[in-house]
Amino acid sequence: MAVVLLPAVLAAEAGGQKRFDVAAETVGEALRQLPVRNLLFDETGQLRRLINVYVDGIDARGGRLLDEPLSPSAEVRVVGAVAGG
Amino acid sequence: MAAVLPVGTRKGLFLLRGGDGAWDVEGPMLPGWSVFHAVLDPRDEALYAATNNPFYGATVHRSDDLGKTWERAEELALPEEGDLKLNATWHVEPGQGSELWLGGDPGVLFRSDDRGMTWEVNRGLLDDPTRERWQPGAGGMCTHSVQLVDGAMYVGISAAGTFRSEDGGDTWAPLNRSVAAEFMPDPYPEVGQCVHKLLAHPKRPERLWQQNHCGVYRSDDRGENWERLDGNGLPTSFGFPLALDPDDPDVAYVIPEQSQEHHYSAEGRLGVYKTTDAGSSWQLASNGLPERAWVAVLREGLAFDQDAIYFGTQNGSVWTAPRGAGRWTEAVRDLPPILSVEAAAA
Repeated sequence: MAVVLLPAVLAAEAGGQKRFDVAAETVGEALRQLPVRNLLFDETGQLRRLINVYVDGIDARGGRLLDEPLSPSAEVRVVGAVAGG
Repeated sequence: MAAVLPVGTRKGLFLLRGGDGAWDVEGPMLPGWSVFHAVLDPRDEALYAATNNPFYGATVHRSDDLGKTWERAEELALPEEGDLKLNATWHVEPGQGSELWLGGDPGVLFRSDDRGMTWEVNRGLLDDPTRERWQPGAGGMCTHSVQLVDGAMYVGISAAGTFRSEDGGDTWAPLNRSVAAEFMPDPYPEVGQCVHKLLAHPKRPERLWQQNHCGVYRSDDRGENWERLDGNGLPTSFGFPLALDPDDPDVAYVIPEQSQEHHYSAEGRLGVYKTTDAGSSWQLASNGLPERAWVAVLREGLAFDQDAIYFGTQNGSVWTAPRGAGRWTEAVRDLPPILSVEAAAA
């Protein structure tokens, strides 16, 4: 099972749960299983613009993003984009 | 009298409880969310918050235990097939029966019949034929005012104007005659006015008031015609918040700002202005407020109930005065920037 880690605000919205074990073949499939999926995706199904996703420490936006394949041992980290000072 | 004030801030929600000079502060609740507006539903004491986050979008939260635990809307979005996306939630308004209304950006209105868990967009407003002539104000294209009186529904949208529906929201009529839009090539268009706050008087429902980008207005005929009121004692025509007296339809309050370029209190003082003659004249009602101040009070930042009037500032102070605004006292200071204040009986 891959692991998805959420930042504090999303974890609070998920009943306080920060870590989720998910069976999924892609990043998108994993994120859509989460109870906070409507905070991650807009109404067109697009990942919100200021959300970054790292798979085993590598920015998935630099790859295939939601179609990025997941191994069962993968760690997916959801992070709000950092901007400014 | 005791009161509960839901105070929405840029950094969560606070509940102020008290009155008679002593206030307890609970919070922040919903940390990480900007609370554009929060209200206690008088029907069942559910606490609703219009919540926004730059990363995670716009939603609504509900608490049935005064903020100890929260539930988030499960379905709140614009139709997938359209070009519009929900940019922000702005105002929650309890309605009749099971109705709950929600105004949002881009100029949209939602209805919920299950206490805010699922929301259906109002197609009449979404598909309004004048929508192509609407444009966003500086705060976005927000449906920020929702008024339900005498069988009619009114919305105020910046910058589209005031609209009324008499068929439960199926169709909407623009109500902007004689309301200026001085930033437009035609300064009196059918739509495109930048209403900043719209209120109907609860006991005289044909009387509407609005603080607009271009003046303060009153209508005595359900918005068909408007009279501009800001030349008779107000320091400027520009501002955002508006409050009424719950019983006297001739009394209203505004807090003018310097100008559309300079969003701080007019003339360098924190000035609440009051009319007791339906806007024919305005008097400063700032006893107790700082005489040198450059602060802002946002459109949802001014509230009233049977006993008192309340406002919150962008620099985190909540001020209260007994009804009539004879003397102001600072109830709380040093909160995060305040976006909204509402008042409910304790």
